[in-house]
Amino acid sequence: MTGFLDLYSEKDTFLHRLDPRVKLLAVALISVLAFILTELLYLVVLLCFILLLLVLARSSYGKAFFALKFVVRFMILITLLWPLFDRSGTPVLFSIGPLDITEPAVWRGATSAVRVGCFATVWYILMFTTSQRDLVRALVKLGLRFDYGLALAISFRFIPTFGLTIESIKDAQRARALELDKGSILRRSRNYVSILVPTIVYALRTADTLALTLQSRAYGAFSNRTYLREIRMRASDYVAMTVVVLILLLPALAKYIYGVQI
Amino acid sequence: MIPRPDADSEDRVIFLRDAKFTYESGVEALKGVTLVIDKGEYLAVVGGNGSGKTTLAKHLNGLLRPTGGQVLVMGVQASTRTVAELARVVGYVFQNPDHQLFCRTVHDEVSFGPANIGLDGPEVKRRADRAIAVMNLSDIRDRPPLSLTLGLRRRVSIASVIAMEPQVLVLDEPTTGLDAREADELMAIIRRLNDEGTTIVLITHEMKLVAEHANRVVVMMDGKVVLDSDTRGAFSDLGLLRRSKLLPPPVTQLAHRLSQIGVSKDILTPQELVFELTRGDDQ
Repeated sequence: MTGFLDLYSEKDTFLHRLDPRVKLLAVALISVLAFILTELLYLVVLLCFILLLLVLARSSYGKAFFALKFVVRFMILITLLWPLFDRSGTPVLFSIGPLDITEPAVWRGATSAVRVGCFATVWYILMFTTSQRDLVRALVKLGLRFDYGLALAISFRFIPTFGLTIESIKDAQRARALELDKGSILRRSRNYVSILVPTIVYALRTADTLALTLQSRAYGAFSNRTYLREIRMRASDYVAMTVVVLILLLPALAKYIYGVQI
Repeated sequence: MIPRPDADSEDRVIFLRDAKFTYESGVEALKGVTLVIDKGEYLAVVGGNGSGKTTLAKHLNGLLRPTGGQVLVMGVQASTRTVAELARVVGYVFQNPDHQLFCRTVHDEVSFGPANIGLDGPEVKRRADRAIAVMNLSDIRDRPPLSLTLGLRRRVSIASVIAMEPQVLVLDEPTTGLDAREADELMAIIRRLNDEGTTIVLITHEMKLVAEHANRVVVMMDGKVVLDSDTRGAFSDLGLLRRSKLLPPPVTQLAHRLSQIGVSKDILTPQELVFELTRGDDQ
């Protein structure tokens, strides 16, 4: 379970070294590009490009497989369901009862699936190559209030811990012969109280301790805090940023200024 | 290994045959454990952190299922039974009582288990009352369990498990966070449960508890049982204990140091050492 929540793995690739702000920009711009592109072929090219970046990020097979499993399932679902709801266009390939499956709808379904695939996987590049700490640092640097950044970082940090605690609570109650998936709906919801109450109590206790910990480390004592590690743009970061901007700008120009069908 | 000629006897409550377990992450936590637990034993499973002792314990009531080998509970394949069914036979008390307390009163909390195993009202009440009495909780039976001290919360959590009247009681580090007096009181109650016939499986790395209470010690290291002997025997091999990241109680360490002047190495309590030393004077 915890592997899902922290996809980041410590590696030394150019994607890991890249300034997290540039990576955030890249993710945003590539997402916009996925919106601009309408031809299936170009979207597939974009998806391949994103997957290539994933390979270059040298993410572990286990994590990549785990992450992509959901995307692929979602893409298949879209491809299959789209033609059922979109019945415009000709020729009709075949009919199931009142449903007409048309060829353009099939293509549109596939296009949307690939587009969604682009949206989802491009975020994985960020998650695979950026530690949560760096991500929060970037957001703070971009103007997010430090308190919110810290809150975000702490929530990231505690998601796996929380997951483990809930598993342990479930086990503890199962050891008292609790059967979560048995009985009427009323009984079942009452059973979940036995999981919910210890979880909430644990959360409150953790929050309390955490507040004390922060205070004892003089959190909020000075309004002008300094940072141990400043993130700074290097020459390579500017190069990467230029490349990313061009990747969006060129197709956008081609489409909106020169009217190329892409 | 303690020889067990009566291997098929009815006294055998738990039998692990070459049980293996690998977590999804790929960590091999049990690498083939064979273990027989007889009725009425007071068994301590000891080992350093990560030695596999909690993983082993979670197999006893089906919270974990072996990925290889077999686990038999009362002669029945544990894999064919749900955790709820096994919970009637094997009670498991988790280390952190806060992971299970959720009711408004101690009495409600203790009744939860018996109600889950489908007993009728009067029987649930009888068992809850008995468990509350055994754990000395009668004075606070109407108090909310979550606002009690850790020592009392731990006792409530144990009461809530023994209320199901299991034949085997597994306790995971029951004295963590308790002061000496709370720990002594708790261990005395557990001793009494054992005297009344409940099989106790104590998971711990506190060797003082083991020396004072257990009749048999299973030392785990790296997912394997490296020693299975009576308590006295377990303390005679300091090297093995050290490799298993365990520290024998100070009195046993002292006895080992004094072994040059003829003190026996398997001393478990200060009284024994005093006895041994005064006997030495007579010679």
